[in-house]
Amino acid sequence: MSGDLAFYGFAALTVLSAFYVVFSRNIVHAGFSLLFTLFGVAGLYAMLAADFLAATQVIVYIGGVLVLILFTVMMTRIPRRGAGGRGLDRFVPAGVFALLLFALLYKVITGTPWAEKAPVSADPTTARLGASFLTDFVFPFEFVSLILLAAMIGAAILIRDRRPAADDGAGGAAAPTGEEERS
Amino acid sequence: MFETLALNAPSWSDLRHFVPETVLVVTFLLALMADLFARGRRPAGPFALALGGCLVALAAAVSSLPAGPRSILGDLVVVDGLAGFFRVLFPLIGAITILFSWASGEIMGPRREHKGEFYALVALMAFGMCVMASAADLIMLYLSVELVSLTSYVMAGYMRTSLRSTEASLKYVIFGSVSSGVMLYGLSLLFGLTGETTFVEIRAALLAGRADNFALLVAMVFVLAGLGYKIAAVPFHFWCPDVYEGAPTPVTALFSVGPKAAGFALMIRFFYTTLLSPGGGQAAAGAAAPDGVIVGPADWPLLIAILSVVTMTYGNLVALRQTNVKRLLAYSSIAHVGYLLMGFLMLTAAGLEAILFYLLVYAIMNLGAFLFVIALNNRLGGEEISDYAGLSTRAPWVALMMMVFLLSLTGLPPTAGFIGKMYLFAEVINRHWFWLAVVGALNSVVSLFYYMKIAKAMYFTPGERAPLRLEPLHTAVLILLAAPTLALGVYWTPFKNFVDRAVAGFAGLGG
Amino acid sequence: MEQVTALFARIAGAGTLSPQLLLWLGALTMALIMALVMAACAIVFTWAERKVAGFIQSRYGPMRVGRWHGIAQPIADMLKILQKEDIIPADADRKFFILAPFVLFIGSLMAWAAIPFAPGFVAADLDMGLLYIFAASSLVTIGILMSGWASNNKWSLYGAARGAAQIVSYEIPLALAVVPVVLYAGSLNMTDIVVAQQGGIWKWFALRNPFLFVSFLIYFLASIAEVNRTPFDLPETESELVAGYHTEYSGMRFAFFFLAEYANLFLVSCIATAVFLGGWGHPVPGLNFAPALVFLAKAVLLVLAQIWIRWTLPRLRVDQLMHVCWKVMIPLALVCLAGSGVWMLAFVRFA
Repeated sequence: MSGDLAFYGFAALTVLSAFYVVFSRNIVHAGFSLLFTLFGVAGLYAMLAADFLAATQVIVYIGGVLVLILFTVMMTRIPRRGAGGRGLDRFVPAGVFALLLFALLYKVITGTPWAEKAPVSADPTTARLGASFLTDFVFPFEFVSLILLAAMIGAAILIRDRRPAADDGAGGAAAPTGEEERS
Repeated sequence: MFETLALNAPSWSDLRHFVPETVLVVTFLLALMADLFARGRRPAGPFALALGGCLVALAAAVSSLPAGPRSILGDLVVVDGLAGFFRVLFPLIGAITILFSWASGEIMGPRREHKGEFYALVALMAFGMCVMASAADLIMLYLSVELVSLTSYVMAGYMRTSLRSTEASLKYVIFGSVSSGVMLYGLSLLFGLTGETTFVEIRAALLAGRADNFALLVAMVFVLAGLGYKIAAVPFHFWCPDVYEGAPTPVTALFSVGPKAAGFALMIRFFYTTLLSPGGGQAAAGAAAPDGVIVGPADWPLLIAILSVVTMTYGNLVALRQTNVKRLLAYSSIAHVGYLLMGFLMLTAAGLEAILFYLLVYAIMNLGAFLFVIALNNRLGGEEISDYAGLSTRAPWVALMMMVFLLSLTGLPPTAGFIGKMYLFAEVINRHWFWLAVVGALNSVVSLFYYMKIAKAMYFTPGERAPLRLEPLHTAVLILLAAPTLALGVYWTPFKNFVDRAVAGFAGLGG
Repeated sequence: MEQVTALFARIAGAGTLSPQLLLWLGALTMALIMALVMAACAIVFTWAERKVAGFIQSRYGPMRVGRWHGIAQPIADMLKILQKEDIIPADADRKFFILAPFVLFIGSLMAWAAIPFAPGFVAADLDMGLLYIFAASSLVTIGILMSGWASNNKWSLYGAARGAAQIVSYEIPLALAVVPVVLYAGSLNMTDIVVAQQGGIWKWFALRNPFLFVSFLIYFLASIAEVNRTPFDLPETESELVAGYHTEYSGMRFAFFFLAEYANLFLVSCIATAVFLGGWGHPVPGLNFAPALVFLAKAVLLVLAQIWIRWTLPRLRVDQLMHVCWKVMIPLALVCLAGSGVWMLAFVRFA
């Protein structure tokens, strides 16, 4: 019972704040609402007995990615009173497309016999995850580190000096490089 | 201390079957470190290391063509004929890219700059593409696509001083992340349907009827969207012209063949393994039926056929209007994807052989055409068709070599492109897809128009008369690429045998 | 927490309360206790801070209120702050201005749940407790950014940007410094980590090997930066930024920032105690009562050390701050991690 309650709580938090992220006219508000979306998702992970995943979600997405997003977004100058109306010409097709996609996914999700597994007990997962990272899944594990290394090189290249300076307004954001490498 | 899953846990001995890939990774790391110590205007250390590494990987790949399928590294990677073919192709593409980047002004820049990491990235990308070609698991599928994408984003934005290049990189990132998200959603649906992550197990689950057909269709279309983005098939091609135009030309050359071939490799492995149940095998060759039974009721070949027709027609028609050669070649590369998809939907060994052969040929001729653009860009500083006016008098041999590439891209004899197209169309007609063959032929005719626009500018439009001397390295590589383009048009048996052996050893068709 | 629920069950009589209700009651009580601990440490440490500052500067500090050495001064301060006018600047972003202190406060309150003060006395004995603490404290960053931006004031924004950059950067050496301990303990559970250090002072992880000792120092320094105190107090440098991200806050809302700051100060000391300094373990033989007091004593000592550093050292410059973190601490922490691993292989016999 209280499990259900927690689930609906987290789900509502995720969905409602996601709506706010999408529909808010203020980009910084949208960024801050993302906090609740990501947090709600972490809660859902925790309810699925994926405790390590939940903690990682919070550390990486809230502590890392979201902070970087906010950093960049806060450095932009936003008009306080919304950024003018968006035309119907964009809103209507996007809305129709989104609704159609939702209908499609709804049909798929509700109308499908999924390969369900028996509910797992809420055993701690961290030790087993660690063990599989270094045994069965050592190759993907190392592979990911190569991906992150590539991302790090990319970040280093992107912040390298650019002589015929295009406008350098937001370039000076004091964000330390390579935040996305933390995992 | 901890119990592990029942997979065959990877061990060091697995690396014995993974030599070219290992060499490429080590090359990447060494070149990166060598870049730290690079002195002088040009980073010779990383260049030499990366080139040498790619060549060693190439040699290792050629000398150790895998005989049969072998699952390694915890069943996440399968080394078979198909992987064997692509691990020859990718180091080759990498080596050629490294060679012509060395003399390209766009990459090396006018001033002394440390740009050694570019060569390291090429090696890393070659590694990622090799893994794409041998991924046997949803996890490796996604990770390898991401590795190739990430290196691509970095390379597309490599000219930091150019606004165009930065824009290209940004566009690439945005389209790339959206399509990768869509693909990931598809993969998660697929996992939900079957409860498995390895391709083979997914097929087993599908054969056992454990999946709802509608959901399967949606999942597969989502996955197709992600892979279609990598190969730039039509509804997912929007990024392609802008990125090709904006990125440094050597990078564009690499993009137009590398990730595309890797995308095809992954598509072949994924769809042939999960959706095709090995039925007749080679014995059925000659009949109008595919070499296997499609799982599920969806008419996949028809869907892909429509995709193929739309792709090639769109690519060719839009290419007609282009005046920028890089953009023109971008659209033409979209059109080539359409031709390749024709072979893909045959679901036969012969179709696969045609695809692989065409990919090999396409890699050579398209790299050649782009190299021509790079070499002239170095001298002329532009890549409009009008820039090439009068080239036949300024640099007759170079113009002639470009002519060879253009003829080959059109698919005219006596060039390699002709042979490649011949195999493709032969298989299409063999399987009674006559309308598809007709559309393909019409498209080839259309493509003749715009390829010949370049030829016309070179040969018939008067322009400057002063002789043009190219970088010696560029001329050398041009010859290196033009020679096989011609030679393969006359004598292609060893390459065809090589491709046939690769397909015979492909795990997906029961080989 | 089990003990608390058991206590409730005993009071109400067995079987009268449903297990669900007991769970909720237990959780609520523990949350209340933690909130009280937070409030208490703010009260105690403001007084301590002022007294230590006084001694360091050869003066007395507060002496009047409460007869003995101004002991009641923080209570007077608290009463004053509660009565203050609540001002929200006209141009501030109201919603987020109000929300920010709560996000900050919840971030530090959540982290408290996994601190083991004594055997069995831990609100949530999570299997990945250490990870959970780091996760919870990442909320603090968002709270800081939110308050800085919502204040609509350039000093606040600068302070917030500095604070976030600093915390995000220093989280890395902080986490890396703890990893060798996890290596030794073989667990992320806080209780397990403390239990692994019982049996003498040489069992404390800070003293297990030289690399771990360096790790402890890195942790200690990085934690000072995490709570934005001198010499790393760039987000609230009074000479350049007025008061940083909480410039515009007043009254009760300001009190939340204040509370969170001291709670965080105590929190990082508690983590250091649990992870590096043996938790409730102590070297005195025969002394076996009140392990929670031993734990608190160690943590308070660490807090006093931080106060001492604050009133002794000058402030760093922004580039120096980043330099120390990215080019000194992180490589050093990585070296310590590798060194500890090698040390373990060489000298520690596995059971």
